[in-house]
Parts: sequence; C-alpha cells; structure tokens
Amino acid sequence: MKPENMSALQIDALRELGSIGAGHAATALSQLLDHPVEISVPEVRFVPVSDVPMLFGGPETLVGAVYARLLGDVSGGMLFIAPRTAMLALVDLLRSRVPGTTKSMNAEEEALATHTGSILISAYLSAIARMADLSLLPSPPAFAFDMMGAILEVATVDIGMKADTAILILTSFIDERAVVDAALFYMPDPDSLDVILGRLGIV
Amino acid sequence: MGFLSSLSHGDSAADLIHVGTGEFAVAEHPTVLMTPALGSCIGVALWDAFRHRGGLAHVMLPLPSDVTQDGSQDRFASVAIPRMVEELNGGTAVRRLVAKIAGGAAMFKSDSSLSNVGERNLEEVRHQLSLLRIPILAEDTGGSHARTVELHLDTGVLVVRSYMYGIREL
Repeated sequence: MKPENMSALQIDALRELGSIGAGHAATALSQLLDHPVEISVPEVRFVPVSDVPMLFGGPETLVGAVYARLLGDVSGGMLFIAPRTAMLALVDLLRSRVPGTTKSMNAEEEALATHTGSILISAYLSAIARMADLSLLPSPPAFAFDMMGAILEVATVDIGMKADTAILILTSFIDERAVVDAALFYMPDPDSLDVILGRLGIV
Repeated sequence: MGFLSSLSHGDSAADLIHVGTGEFAVAEHPTVLMTPALGSCIGVALWDAFRHRGGLAHVMLPLPSDVTQDGSQDRFASVAIPRMVEELNGGTAVRRLVAKIAGGAAMFKSDSSLSNVGERNLEEVRHQLSLLRIPILAEDTGGSHARTVELHLDTGVLVVRSYMYGIREL
C-alpha cells in the first residue's frame, strides 16, 4: 500500500485510530500524574520518511524523542518527537509547573518524557490491535535528545529501512494552562499497512 | 538548519555540496562537502592533498546482507567506500588518499540492539579503509551524540559540529 493510493476512507480510519489512541493515552496519563491532561489529534497524514526532518526545521533541529520497535503480527516502528522547546513545555505541563519553568532535561525529566512517549505509543498500538484484531507490542522505549536527522536515521536503520512512508499523528497535550504540540510517527513497513487495512475491512 | 549552521565557517551556499543520508559525493576545492546529523551513521572523508580533491560518504550500514537489497547500495560501507575511492583515483594506482571519519554513535539510551549499529559501522569502515590501504589520520567516533561534518578540500580539515561539544576540527 502506497500512501498516494490511500482512499479518503482509509485515511479516516487511521485518523480514527489516532483519536482512540489519544483518548486512552490521556486517561492513562491523567491517572499517572494525578491531574487531568487532555490529548487531541488535530491531524493525521502521510509523509515520506525523508521529509520528516524538514517538518521540524531541518536535520540539525534539536528534538527529544522516544522510539519503540513494533513486535508481534506486524513490523515497523513508533517515534514520538517534540522539538526542544515543546519537550521542555511538555515537562512543565506534566509536572503542573508554570510554563517556562523547565530549562533543560535531567535524568528524572527524561524518564518522565520516556514514560509519556511510551504511554502514547502503547495506547495507539492497542487501538490498532483491538480494531484490527492483531497482536502488537512495543519494544522497551528508548530516549534520545539530539539532532532530528540522526534520531530518525537510527530509527530507520532499526526498522530495516523498509518504511519509506510515515503516518504523522499530530498530538496536542492540553491542560488548563498550556497546549503543547508534539508528533507521533508510525512507520509501518508497507506490507504491515496492507495487513492492518485488510483487517479493518477497508482495503 | 538549526542554530549550529551559524557556527559554521561562513562558506557561501554555492560552494557547499550537501551529501544526503546513504550517499557520497566527490569534489575539488573550493567546494565544501557537508553531511548533517550523523547518528549511528558514519561520515567517511577522503582527501587528496596534491589535487585538493576529496570525497565524503554518509554510510548507514556495514554490509548489504544486513537488510533487503532495495534502494541505493551506497548506504553500505562495503559499497560506498570502494566506489568513492574508484571515483577519486579514476582507475590510476595513485596512493595519496587519507581518511578522517566521524559518527558511529549510540543515539538512544537503554536499548542494546539499537546501540551496536554504530559500532558495526565503525568496524566495517575501518576494515574497508585498511583493505584499500588508506590511513585514518583522525576520527571523532562513538559516544551518544549526533554530529554534522564538513570537509574542507584545501586543507583536508574535517569540521565536526555537535550540540554536545560544539565545534571540533580533525
């Protein structure tokens, strides 16, 4: 399945999965943090993997990222990414701090970001798994804070460079004080996308 | 590009060749060869001091057997390095080339399978260069940080930029 061949119905289905995943992730995060956090998915679209760094201002842009490989019935990878300022703002939001408080990431904040990315990834995968009746598990999440291009490159190599297209799930974290925009990329290998859409009955 | 580009050596854009991931390029002074954001990948710079000529490769993986055969073979150290040497030497037997290498980092914390791609890349790059009897004059490799490199063909200096250490010259 190539993204340019995707029908509006198929893209709608993937958007719906994104929203369901976001809903579950918001519930999980709110429980974990003990204060309400909302997550919305304003946009889901396909992007060529090679264009991903440009979405963030180029390959040298400093970003925080959480990566997990997909295990189970389909293969691919999930990458949660936020540019530096958004990652720091996300830590403020998760910690209920005044926006602008967090200036750098220490080990504890990296762990918090990793957990958050991991929850988002797991929630999205479990939405797909349930709808498509597949077994889908993420590998333990790994965190990096560095150049966008280098992070994407490592993820691509890990997937085996079979994914040439990523599904971009724009993800906004919202509480009463702030809105933080981040991105979740689902990089399925092309066969896996066929399997998922086939199972959803929208080939 | 991010703020790191402002730390660059002020080369005009016209003289800069941007080497993409999994590609290589060969050029002469005053052109500068650059490749951004090396993670586990390796920037292999070759330089001919006599002709002020050189090449830069952005290799992603050690050997073609690692993944499917689709796509450019220049992603592989075992393919890109001999090809680049062939292009630089043009079939002659001259042995003037010297090498400088950078990259091969383990970008992600806490995942061992992700971590060793950089190491395997480094091993294969060193192996290929030794087969071609090209000495490695300097390297900035390993660690856990991303690097952008720029090869200056008049001096053979390889400029390595990173968020971790700023600018290093090899």
